[in-house]
Amino acid sequence: MASNEMQAQPLEDMGGNKDPFAIGMLFPLFRAALWGLTGYFAAAWITAALLGSVIVDPLPATVGYVVGLICWLLGSGLWEGWIRRAFGGKEAPSFTGVERYFRFGPDSKSTAVRYVVFNVVAFFFAGMAAMAIRVQLLTPDSTSWWMSEIQYNETFGIHGLMMLLAVAASAIVGGVGYYLIPLMLGTRNVVFPKLLGLSWWLLPPAAFAVFMSPTIGGFQTGWWGYPPLAQNSGSGIVFYVLGAATLLMASLLGAINIAGTMVYMRAKGMTLGRVPIFVWGLFAAATILIVESPATYTGALMDLSDMIAGSHFYTGPTGHPLAYMDQFWFLFHPEVYVFALPAFAIWLEILPAAAKRPLFARGWAIAGLVGVSMLGAMLGVHHYFTAVSDARMPIFMTITETVSIPTGFIYLSAIGTIWGGRLRINAAVLLILMAMMNFLVGGLTGIFNADVPADLQLHNTYWVIAHFHYTILGAVIFTWIGALYWWFPKVTGRKINEFWGKFHAWWFFVFFNCTFFPMFIAGIDGMNRRIAIYLPYLHQINMFISISAFLLGAGFLIPLANLAYSWRYGPKADANPWGSKGLEWQVKSPTPYVPYPATIEPEVVGPNDNYAPGAKEPFVWVSTPSK
Amino acid sequence: MNAAKENLWKAFRGLVVVWIIGLAIGETLIAWGVDNWPILGSIQAHITADATTYLMWQAVAIYVLVGGTIVYSAVRFRASSMSDTAAPTYQKRTWAPFVVTWLALAIAINLANTIYPGMVGLEQLWGIQLDAKKPLVIDVTAQQWKWTFSYPKQGVTDVSKLVVPEGRTIDFVLRSKDVVHDFWVPAWGEKKDVIPNEVRHLFITPTVLGTTATNPMIRVQCTMICGNGHPLMRAPVKVVTAADFKKWVANNSF
Repeated sequence: MASNEMQAQPLEDMGGNKDPFAIGMLFPLFRAALWGLTGYFAAAWITAALLGSVIVDPLPATVGYVVGLICWLLGSGLWEGWIRRAFGGKEAPSFTGVERYFRFGPDSKSTAVRYVVFNVVAFFFAGMAAMAIRVQLLTPDSTSWWMSEIQYNETFGIHGLMMLLAVAASAIVGGVGYYLIPLMLGTRNVVFPKLLGLSWWLLPPAAFAVFMSPTIGGFQTGWWGYPPLAQNSGSGIVFYVLGAATLLMASLLGAINIAGTMVYMRAKGMTLGRVPIFVWGLFAAATILIVESPATYTGALMDLSDMIAGSHFYTGPTGHPLAYMDQFWFLFHPEVYVFALPAFAIWLEILPAAAKRPLFARGWAIAGLVGVSMLGAMLGVHHYFTAVSDARMPIFMTITETVSIPTGFIYLSAIGTIWGGRLRINAAVLLILMAMMNFLVGGLTGIFNADVPADLQLHNTYWVIAHFHYTILGAVIFTWIGALYWWFPKVTGRKINEFWGKFHAWWFFVFFNCTFFPMFIAGIDGMNRRIAIYLPYLHQINMFISISAFLLGAGFLIPLANLAYSWRYGPKADANPWGSKGLEWQVKSPTPYVPYPATIEPEVVGPNDNYAPGAKEPFVWVSTPSK
Repeated sequence: MNAAKENLWKAFRGLVVVWIIGLAIGETLIAWGVDNWPILGSIQAHITADATTYLMWQAVAIYVLVGGTIVYSAVRFRASSMSDTAAPTYQKRTWAPFVVTWLALAIAINLANTIYPGMVGLEQLWGIQLDAKKPLVIDVTAQQWKWTFSYPKQGVTDVSKLVVPEGRTIDFVLRSKDVVHDFWVPAWGEKKDVIPNEVRHLFITPTVLGTTATNPMIRVQCTMICGNGHPLMRAPVKVVTAADFKKWVANNSF
């Protein structure tokens, strides 16, 4: 079994330290917050004093953010857990008990659990921003008792950026993926466990800064940050840029781990053909991040440079704003595949176990996942067909439409798996079936935006809002919650409440469609996006959307309560409650600190989706040869 | 194995029924939607709306064929309960006729869509632009947060209301003084970004008389977020007959 330095340390008890939770274990969390805030204010204030400006100005805020981020990281346990050794000091011992959840460390499972908690918190606050947007849109006028136009613009910018980078980008990849990838590949940890640990600790300060951006002047550009508006609509853009760049960096650290773990850390006998489909989905997403994200956060930082350093990449009489769009969408179109591909892969991972059938046309499904990630690098231009020259329209239209072919393979595979099977529909399976239906709407309406003539009218209208909420909320978030339910016994040893799971699945499905389907119509009727004030003829449809949105938003409290309650009081689950043949279910649940014991390891001898009666087990346990 | 096969063909017959019912309902709804389409106030609007409505017919068909199959097979092939763990007898990993049909259709629909409505629509839009030998030139200046229009050949400058003649192709010359804006008259079916340091052209041939007061779709609307005045960055539009336009020019030129 592949192992690295950290895993090679023999642990007497694979379950780890059994000490119960004590309040003192939260110390690194408090220290990180204290150091981070102190670092931020000290650095911002000193910079402001030196420049004769105030701390909310762009340059002091930038310096403050960078110093604050570093102080936060050191406080989180990075200092004694990693950095101190570089200065000749001693490295802190590995924490194997409950403590590891509250500090920096190399354990991928606790990192993944922290990802889930972070995503839930970010989803809550960004969701509240969405509710605030819908309150504003209850009436067509400026609704001055609620928010000013400036506050409205800040709110949808925060909602968009947080939902994308603090929720969708890491919900499935982080919470589900980082937990499962070592287990599914039959290894004890990921290939760079400390980088993975670091990746989580980058998230909270970045998200906090974005949420706090109104305190230094906010940003009104939406989550795009287009120059030159970025430079003249408030210094909160500094937190937008730095927050986005930090969140992307966290994604990139995870992506390196996914790709590296899949390439180097597979169990004996696990050929690429036998790698679980979910890991393929993660790998496809990781390649996108590795190849495309540098161009985009460079663009974001150049945007910042125009703001704080007096450069004129995109602004001023010689600036070229279109270049920012090129850089921005180079990653941020494929970024939606970073959200969606792991979600697709989860459908294909769960359906065979639920239907007791092998995954249909597995090779085509993998070709679909990888194909989407490859085509994704070549089509960001379809986000600004209204800005580019005529010459660029046909080629990017053609490539964008081509993406539907590999995406279709996912549906081919999913339908072929359900067909002729015996599908056991629990809350998780119900959610992924609904996600498939929602993504179908999202994908089919995407063709309209890929088709230039149709897009010239629909671009930047509510049509687009409806389209991407169908793909991201309707497919990715549904799948995320479904995945949390499906693998809940793996993490906690308990099951969620199936009744409430199915109840809120239907609640979501109904109110999700009531909220977002009318947006297609609003878009066709001439409602453009990002407006706090709209014309009275659009009032009724917006009332309907807003009320549905409130019901949809309130419904999210059900899974929150379900997960929280079941975590402590849910019914105990077997080690393999769904009868899956996946490798992750062949070890103890909840996963012990060291998931695979020190002397024995799995060897893959067959496909992990062979549910035929009397089929051979796909794994055998062999003893680890001593070095 | 034979028994299982028979059952699957029987299941497929049920699916065909679902498809037919679904297509009938779905396409009827689309027909109703297309009948109630908002105003199409220019030749370009007809081209872009043709693209949109064609893709709607197609999207609904695909939605019923694929989504109907998902729902139907999930219901048809469901187990009685979670504790029913028996595996089905049908355990094939692939079935070539299905895969090949799917692949062929996916590629065919893609190619078809690229040609129509994609390239055909673009060629039509570009064709109008190339055929317009003497378009009416209107300079559009966007700034935070207002539109100004000038008619250089008519000697009308800096008016805040857009008055255009019916039936003549107009070359809107789009310039921005500050940030990125986007020039859009919803009734005219097309929009174009207005980008600082660059000049963009939008060719529109209005065909329907009307004003913003009679139909709010006939309005200039900024559709690119441009700051706190963005939602109100609108301008009234009046589409008049050629004769009325001449009169208006005579009254407003210097």
